[in-house]
Amino acid sequence: MSNRTSIKVALEIVGTVLMVVGALLIGAVLVVLSENNPIEAYQAMIAGAFGSKQKIAEVVVKLIPILIMSLGVSIAFKAQLWNIGAGGQFLMGSIVSVAIALYVPVPIWLRIPLSFAAAIVVGAGWAALAGWLKARFSANEVITTLMLNYIAHYLLLYLINGPMQDPYSDLSQTDVIPDGMRLTKLLGPTFRLHSGLFIMIAVVVLMIFFWRTTLGYRIDLTGQGEKVATYSGINVNRTVILTMGLSGGLIGLAGWIEIFGIQFRLLDGIAGGLGNTATIVALLGSLNVYGVIAAAIFFSALLCGGASMKRMTDVPYSVVDVIQGLIIIFVIAKNVVWDRCDPMKLFSKKKGYSQHAE
Amino acid sequence: MASLAVKMRGITKVFNGVNANDHVDFDLRKGSIHGLLGENGAGKTTLMNVLYGLYQPEEGTIAINGRTAEISSPTKAIALGIGMVHQHFMLARPLTVVENVMLSRKSRRGIFLDTKETARELRELSDRYRMGIDPYSKIWQLSVGEQQRVEILSAIYLGAEILILDEPTAVLTPQETEIFFDTLREMRDDGKSIILITHKLEEILSIVDEVTVLRLGKLIGAKAVDETITKDDLTRMMVGREVLFHFPPLTRDPGDIRFRLDGISAMNDKGLVALKDFSLELREGEIVGLAGVDGNGQKELCEVMTGLRPSVAGKMTLDGEDVTNHEPAFYIQKRISHIPEDRHATGLALNWSLKNNLILKSFARPPINRNHLVQTKKVEENWLQAEKDYQILAIDGDEQVRCLSGGNQQKVILARELNCEPSVLIANQPTRGLDVGAAEYVRTRIINARNRGCACFVVSADLEEILQLSDRIAVIYGGRLMGILPRGSDPLEIGALMMGKGLEEKLEERELEQQNIH
Ligand SMILES: Nc1ncnc2c1ncn2[C@@H]1O[C@H](COP(=O)(O)OP(=O)(O)OP(=O)(O)O)[C@@H](O)[C@H]1O
Ligand SMILES: [Mg+2]
Repeated sequence: MSNRTSIKVALEIVGTVLMVVGALLIGAVLVVLSENNPIEAYQAMIAGAFGSKQKIAEVVVKLIPILIMSLGVSIAFKAQLWNIGAGGQFLMGSIVSVAIALYVPVPIWLRIPLSFAAAIVVGAGWAALAGWLKARFSANEVITTLMLNYIAHYLLLYLINGPMQDPYSDLSQTDVIPDGMRLTKLLGPTFRLHSGLFIMIAVVVLMIFFWRTTLGYRIDLTGQGEKVATYSGINVNRTVILTMGLSGGLIGLAGWIEIFGIQFRLLDGIAGGLGNTATIVALLGSLNVYGVIAAAIFFSALLCGGASMKRMTDVPYSVVDVIQGLIIIFVIAKNVVWDRCDPMKLFSKKKGYSQHAE
Repeated sequence: MASLAVKMRGITKVFNGVNANDHVDFDLRKGSIHGLLGENGAGKTTLMNVLYGLYQPEEGTIAINGRTAEISSPTKAIALGIGMVHQHFMLARPLTVVENVMLSRKSRRGIFLDTKETARELRELSDRYRMGIDPYSKIWQLSVGEQQRVEILSAIYLGAEILILDEPTAVLTPQETEIFFDTLREMRDDGKSIILITHKLEEILSIVDEVTVLRLGKLIGAKAVDETITKDDLTRMMVGREVLFHFPPLTRDPGDIRFRLDGISAMNDKGLVALKDFSLELREGEIVGLAGVDGNGQKELCEVMTGLRPSVAGKMTLDGEDVTNHEPAFYIQKRISHIPEDRHATGLALNWSLKNNLILKSFARPPINRNHLVQTKKVEENWLQAEKDYQILAIDGDEQVRCLSGGNQQKVILARELNCEPSVLIANQPTRGLDVGAAEYVRTRIINARNRGCACFVVSADLEEILQLSDRIAVIYGGRLMGILPRGSDPLEIGALMMGKGLEEKLEERELEQQNIH
C-alpha cells in the first residue's frame, strides 16, 4: 500500500471516529436535557459493556450475529444492491432452523448440519428472490427486501401462533430445540457465550479474502455501473441474483447461530432490530471488512452498555436509539462533506494566499 | 487595450500533493475567442474548473470584468455570467433536455414548472443556432454529439457571457465543427467571450484570437494568433520539443477474412432501426476505417460486434464460426477488443483504481487469476508496464481513474484493449480528446496491432484520421453502408457519401430492379 493510500485510509478512520464521537456528544446533550449526568450515564454504559468478564462475554454474544449479518449486508451494498431485508432473511433462516430441529425425523446429529445448510439456503433464497425480481422486472430491491421483511415477520407470527406453537404452552412461541443440538457453551453454564464464535471468526477470515477473489471483483464491478460491468463481460443479472444470495446466505446463517446458540426456539422479536443494526454497521464500517468489525464491536457494546445504563441510571434507553439514528445521518452526510472539503489537502504543501489582483 | 473579462493571477491548485496548476496567469479579453492549449494532463480542465467555481485554488486571485471575485461555487459562477460545457457531460441521463435545463435554475412560475415555456425557448435557440435538438428527448437516447450540443445550448440559454468550452469539437464532425464555429463567431460578435479548449491545432489557427499554452501545470505563454503562427510553433510550445509524425509503413498484405458481417440490422436505444442490412468484411492484418457523421449507427454497429447489443437480422462470423448474438464475455474470450465511444460510463469503472481498470476484462483469467484469487503482484506488474508503454500520467496507479485527465483516461482504455494481443480491434473514436502527440502515438499503436495481424476496425468522425489510417474506407449513413473505397480515395467523394449522397440513386436502382422482377 502506498504512502498516499495509507493517508487516505487514516483519514477515513479519523472521519468515522469523529462521527461516532459527534453522535455520542449529542447523545450527552440529550442526557443533560433529561436532567441526568452524562458522564455518569456513559460511565454506566462503559461499565455495562466491559465492566466484568460476564459483561464482555455478553458483548461478544451480541457481536456474533451483528458482525455476520453486517458482513452479509456489505456484500450486497458493495454491488450497490441496497439489501435492507436483513431482518427478514434472518427470520427465514431462524424459522427453517427450528422447523428442522423440531420436526425432521432424522437422528439429531444429522439435523444439525441439515438445519445449518437449510438456514443458509433459505436466507439466500429469500434475498435472491429480491435479486431475481430486480433482474427480471427491474423491481427496486429496497422496496422488495422491505416487503419480504414483512412477509417473513408475519409468517413467523402465524407459525408461532399456529402450526408451530408449543403445544404445552399458551405463549406465542415454539417448543425449545433438544439439548443435544445446542451449541456448546464456551465459558461454562453461567455464561451465554457459545461456540458460534468460531463460525463468526471463520466468516471474518473468509471475508478478508473475499474482496480479492475473482467473485469479489465481479460483485464490486457490478456495483460500478451496469454498462461498464456488461462491457467487461459480466452477466449483470446473474451477478445481481448471486450477490443477493450470498448476502442473504450469511444472514440466514446468523439466524441459525442465534437459534442454536441463544434462543433455542422461535418467538416474536428474535430479530430484535438486528436487521437495522447490521445495515448501519455495514455503512459505518464503509463496507470494509476491518471497518465493519470495528463498527460491529462498537455497536454491540453500545447496545449492551445502553441496556445496562437504563437499569443503573434514570437515563432512558431511547438515548441509544438516538445515537444510532445520528450515526446514520452522519454516515450519509460524511460522504458529501468529505468530497467537498477534500481533506487530502492538509497533506499537500500549502502556502498563504498571495495577492496579485489590482 | 480592451478590458479583460477574466483575469486570473497566480492560480495554484494541488491534487494529492501534485500541482495540477502551478501559479498560472490567464487573461481573457472581452469579446474574444481564446484558445487554451496543452498536452493531456497539462491542467486545462483544472484551471477552468477553478474559474467555474468547482475547485477552490490553494493560491491565486480571479477578477471578472475588472472586479475581484470569490467564485465559491458554480452557482456563483453562473450568476457572474460564466457558463461551462464540460469535457465529459454533466447531464442527468434519465431526464429530458428541457428538464436538465430547468434543474439549473428556478422556475418562473413559482412552485409550478415552466416546462412548456422553457421547451419553446430552447427550441427557438436550437433553431437559431441550427442545433436540431428536440427539448423533449431523453438524454440517454441522444448520441454523444447531440448531448454535446445540449450542453452548449443550455449554457447559452442560462445567459452565459463568458463561455468555457472544454473540448467541444472532439465529438463533432468537420462539417458540424464549421457550423459550430460560425455560431461561436456570432456569439463573439454579440460581445460574448469564449474560452475554447481543444487539441486540434487547425481549430486554434482558424477561429481563435489568442492562445494560452500550459505544460505540466505551468503557464508557458500567451500569444495573439495571426498569420505568422504555425502549427509547429504551437506544438513546440505545448510539448517542448518537435513531434515527429512517423508512421510504420504498411508491412503486410491483408490475409484471410477474419470477421464478417452479413446483412446485420439492429435497433437503437429508442427502439428505432439504427443499422440496416449492413455487410462488411475485416481481414487479418488490415485496418478498415468507418467514416460517417456521428450518430449514424456507428455506436450500434460496434455494440453488435461485441455482444453489447443484439442484432435483429443478419449473421456474423469470426474465422468462419458463427458468432451472432452471444454474450459480451464470449467476444472478450475470442480476443475481440473494444474501445467504446463512451469512455466514462462504459469503458471505465470510474471509482476503481487505475490498476484495477487495466484488468477490468482479465481479472477472472490467468495469470491475474490464480486459484480464484486476483494476484496483486501481477496487477502491479501490469500497471507498471502500461504506465511505461503508454506514458500514463498518474501518481501511483492506486488513485481512482476518475481523477485522471481525459486524455490519460483514454490511455488507460487503450492500454487495456491493445495489450491483450487482440485478434480483432474495434476502436470507436480512439483518439478523441487526445493531444497531438498522444493521438499520433495511438494511431501508431493501432498500425502496429495491424502489422501483428490484428483485424482493425476504426470508427472516427475525423476524416483526416480515417484517411491516414485506413487500408479500406467504409462509409456509413443512416445505418446503411454507403460504399467501400480504397486507400487514397478523394476526401470529397467520402464526404459526399457521409452526407448520404448516392443513397437515393441506390434506392431507385433497387426499386427498378424490383419492378423488373414483377
Ligand atoms: N479531481 C482530481 N483529483 C485528483 N487529481 C486530479 C483531479 N483532477 C485533475 N487531477 C490531476 O491534475 C492534472 C491535470 O488534469 P486536467 O484534467 O486539468 O488536465 P487537462 O489539461 O484537462 O488534460 P486533458 O487534455 O487530458 O483533458 C492531471 O494530472 C490529473 O491527474
Ligand atoms: Mg481536460
